[in-house]
Amino acid sequence: MADTTKYPKNAKRPLEGVRIADVTVVWAGPYVTQLLGEWGAEIIRVEPINRIQPYSRGGDSQVTKEQATALAQQGQLLGAYPDLDPKDDRWNRSAGFNAHSRNKKSMACDITSPEGKEAFIRLLKVSDCFIENNVPITIEKAGLTWDEVREINPRLIMLRMPAFGLSGPYKYYRAFGTHVEGMIGHHLIRGYPNAGPDYTGDAFTADALAGVLGAFAIVTALRHRERTGEGQQVEMPLAEAFLPVLGEFIMDYTMNGRVTEPQGNRHPSHAPHGVYPTEGDDQWIAIDVATDEEFAALCDVLGAGALASDERFAASDQRWKHRDALDTALGEVTRSHDKEALFRSLQAAGVNAAPVHNEVEALADEQLAARDWFREITVPTVGTHRYPGYLFKMANTPDEVRLPPPLLGEHNEEIYLDLLGYSREELDAMIEKGLVGTTYPPEVLASALGL
Amino acid sequence: MPGPLEGIRVLDLTSNVAGPFASKLIGDYGGEVLKVEPPGGDPSRRYGPFHGDDPHPEKSALYLHLNTNKRSITLDPSSKAGRNLLRRLIERADILLEDFAPGTMESWGLGWDDLRATQPNLVMISITPYGQTGPYRDFKGSEITLEAIGGPLQNNGHISLEPLKLGGHTALYHAGAAAGFAALMGRLRVEMGGEGDYVDLSVYECQAGFRDRRTVYLTGASYTGYPSKRGGSTIRMGSGVRPALDGYVNVLGAGNRLPALLKLIDREDMAENPDIFKPAAFIPQDLVDEVEASYLMYLMQNTKLEVIARAQELGMLCGAILTTEDLVKDPHYRERGMWDTIDHPFTGPIEYPGRPLIMSASPRPAPRRAPLLGEHNIEVYIDELGLAREDLPLLRAQGVI
Repeated sequence: MADTTKYPKNAKRPLEGVRIADVTVVWAGPYVTQLLGEWGAEIIRVEPINRIQPYSRGGDSQVTKEQATALAQQGQLLGAYPDLDPKDDRWNRSAGFNAHSRNKKSMACDITSPEGKEAFIRLLKVSDCFIENNVPITIEKAGLTWDEVREINPRLIMLRMPAFGLSGPYKYYRAFGTHVEGMIGHHLIRGYPNAGPDYTGDAFTADALAGVLGAFAIVTALRHRERTGEGQQVEMPLAEAFLPVLGEFIMDYTMNGRVTEPQGNRHPSHAPHGVYPTEGDDQWIAIDVATDEEFAALCDVLGAGALASDERFAASDQRWKHRDALDTALGEVTRSHDKEALFRSLQAAGVNAAPVHNEVEALADEQLAARDWFREITVPTVGTHRYPGYLFKMANTPDEVRLPPPLLGEHNEEIYLDLLGYSREELDAMIEKGLVGTTYPPEVLASALGL
Repeated sequence: MPGPLEGIRVLDLTSNVAGPFASKLIGDYGGEVLKVEPPGGDPSRRYGPFHGDDPHPEKSALYLHLNTNKRSITLDPSSKAGRNLLRRLIERADILLEDFAPGTMESWGLGWDDLRATQPNLVMISITPYGQTGPYRDFKGSEITLEAIGGPLQNNGHISLEPLKLGGHTALYHAGAAAGFAALMGRLRVEMGGEGDYVDLSVYECQAGFRDRRTVYLTGASYTGYPSKRGGSTIRMGSGVRPALDGYVNVLGAGNRLPALLKLIDREDMAENPDIFKPAAFIPQDLVDEVEASYLMYLMQNTKLEVIARAQELGMLCGAILTTEDLVKDPHYRERGMWDTIDHPFTGPIEYPGRPLIMSASPRPAPRRAPLLGEHNIEVYIDELGLAREDLPLLRAQGVI
C-alpha cells in the first residue's frame, strides 16, 4: 500500500499530489471536485454499482431514443445524450455527469456494504481529502463521520456539504439547491415584482456558490495542514454557503426591519436596467444604464429621439422614478433590433448591454472562441465533443484536461490493485458479489424510473 | 485564534462586489487584507439599503457586509505620487487583487510583467467582465448583462414573461469566490516552494462555467445541437412551487418521489395506473390534472412549514419559500449561530450573515467591522511605509489619498 500522500515540493499545478476520495452526488459536491481536479488534484469518484444514485450519473433517466430526442427538442438538456441516443450505457453518456467529471477517476464501491467500507477505509488511509454532500444520515449509517475517520487518518481533510448542516432542526432535511434557496429567502428575492413565486421557477444557484466555496475551503484546510500537520472537518451546508450572497437584503431586515420585496430585474438606482425584447421569437437584450451620458448614447444608437427628449427620463433619479414607463417605452424600441447588432453598437457607444445567449449561441460566441474557452474531449463510447472550460486562466500553470470523464468503474483495477493493494483474487470476489464492475445489474436498471 | 490564513497579506485594489468578496473570504479566515479605496470611497458605499435609510457612505449594508476584517486606506493611483506609493504597497503583499479595465495596470507600469520581475512570488489576480484578451475585452459588463450573455437569463423565469435575473449580485459573488480560490491556490504553491502566478479571471467565463445549470446545458447543447428553454425543465406534475395555507412551498414530487407525493396527498390509489410513472412529458393530461387537484386541496389545509416537515418525513426533497424575516427568525439558523452581531460607530450593533463554513481545527477569528473610509491611512502610510506625518496633508491636498 502506498504511503499517505505528501504535498510535493515545486509542483507545477497547485493541487498536484492532493488525492481526493469523492463521495459526492448530484450537483454541488461534484462541482467542488471538478474545480479541484482542474488544478491538479487526483479525484477518485466512489460510486456504487449495485444501486443507482438518483440525479447523479444519468442511470435513473430511463428513456428511449425517441423520448431523448423529444426532450432535447423541448430544451430539456439534463437528460441529453450524444447523438440523442442513450444507447445501452446511458450512465456514461449523460450531459449532467459528463459536464463536471473530466479529470476524475471512477471506482465502483458501495460504502454502505461491509466490503465496500473496507475498501473505502483503505482509500482514506492514502487520501488527503474526503468530500461528500449526502444527507447526514447516510454518512452516520456508514460509520464514516469525522470522529470515526480521523482515527483512520488524522491528516485527512473531510468536507461535508449537507443541505442545512450537521446540527439544528433541519439537519436531516433533504433538498436540492432550489429547495435550499427557498429556505434562505433567495426564491422570493429574485421573483417578479408583479407575479407570484410560482412564476419564478427553480434555480440551482446555491450549488454554484457552494461548489466554489468548497474548493476555497479545501485549499484553506490544506494550508492549515501544511503548517500544522493537522487534518480537520469542514462543515459547509448548502444553505449557509449561499447566505453571504444575500447580505444586504438580510441586513435591510436586521438594520431597518424591512422585508425585501421581489426584485425582478430592477436595480436599486439604475434605470433603465432590465431585459428587453428584440427581433425574433423569445430574443432579448439586457441593458444597464448608470449615467445620463450612457442614456443619451443609448437613445442615440436606437434612434429613439422621443425617449431622449422625454422630460420624465432626463435625469437618473427621474428615470428611476418612472422606470416602469421607461421599460415599456424602451422595449417598444428594442423590439425591431437584432440583438447581436445592437449589442455591438451599444458597446461601441459605451453602453453596458449584452444579449441573452442560449447554449448554441454560447458555443459559437467569438469571445469564448478567441480565448479557447471550450475544451474538446474524446470519451470512449461517447465520441469527441466540446465541453465547458475552466473558471479562470493561470499564466504560470498548465491547465490541460488530463483525463476525460470516466466511464463507470473505469479505474477499478488501477485503484483496487495498484493503490489499495487488493489481490486479483480479492478483486474478483468483489466482482462476483456485484460490488465492483462497470455496469449496473439488469434488475437495477429495469427498476429505474423515467425522468 | 489567528485563523487558517494567518500571515497571508492581501492588497486589494478592487471595488463593488466580486473582488471585495474574494478578499473578505481571505480576511474572514485570518488573512491580512489592506483595502485601497479611491479618495471618494468604494462605489458600493453609495448603494442601498442604508442603515436607517440614510444614504451615508459608512451606512451601506452592502459595503459593511463585504468589507469585514479589512483595513482601509485611500489612494488615487492615477497620479505619479499615487503610483509610487502603490508600488511600495504591492512590495509588501503576497496577493494582489485588481479589477481595473484591461491595460490599466500596465499603463501605470504595474502590470504582471513589471511586477514579476522584482516579485516572482507575487500572486496577482485581475477581475474583469470579459477577460484581458479577445474582442470583448473592452466591453462594459455588470450583474444583469453578464447574466444575460453568461447563462442565468436563458433559464430563469417563466416562459410567458421576460427572463429573470438571479438575486442581488449572484454572478459577481460567484466570480469573487472563484478569485479567492485562485488566489489561495497560487499562494499555497508559493508557500510550498513554487513560483507566483497571474490569474486572468473574467466574470463572463465564470458564468459560462456556472454549475447552476449552464455547464450541464452547454454540454447538452454540444451533444445535441439544441438549446435549453426558460423554465423548461422544472414545470412537472407534483414538482415545483405551489401555494400553501400561509405562503409557498417547493416540493420535488416527480420521478422516484412520486409514490411519496401520492402518500402525502392521500392518493396512493392513483399508483395503480402505470401511465402515471411515465417520464413527466408523457403522462396523460387527465392524470396530471387529477394529481394536481388533490395536491392543491392538501396544500390549502397546511402551513408551508407543516407541509415541508411532513414531506421530509416521507423522504421528499423540498423547502418552504421564506422571507428574509422568516429567515432571520428561523430557529434552525439561530441555533447554529449563523448570525454575527458586529458593532460599528455609525450603526451600532447589527446582525450580519456570519460564516459560510465551519472549520473544526482552525476556526475563523472573531469578526471585525468594516473600516471607515481611509481609517488606516496613518497606520499604513506613517507607521508601516515610514512617511513623515507632515506628508499626509500634502498628499491629501493633491488628491492622492
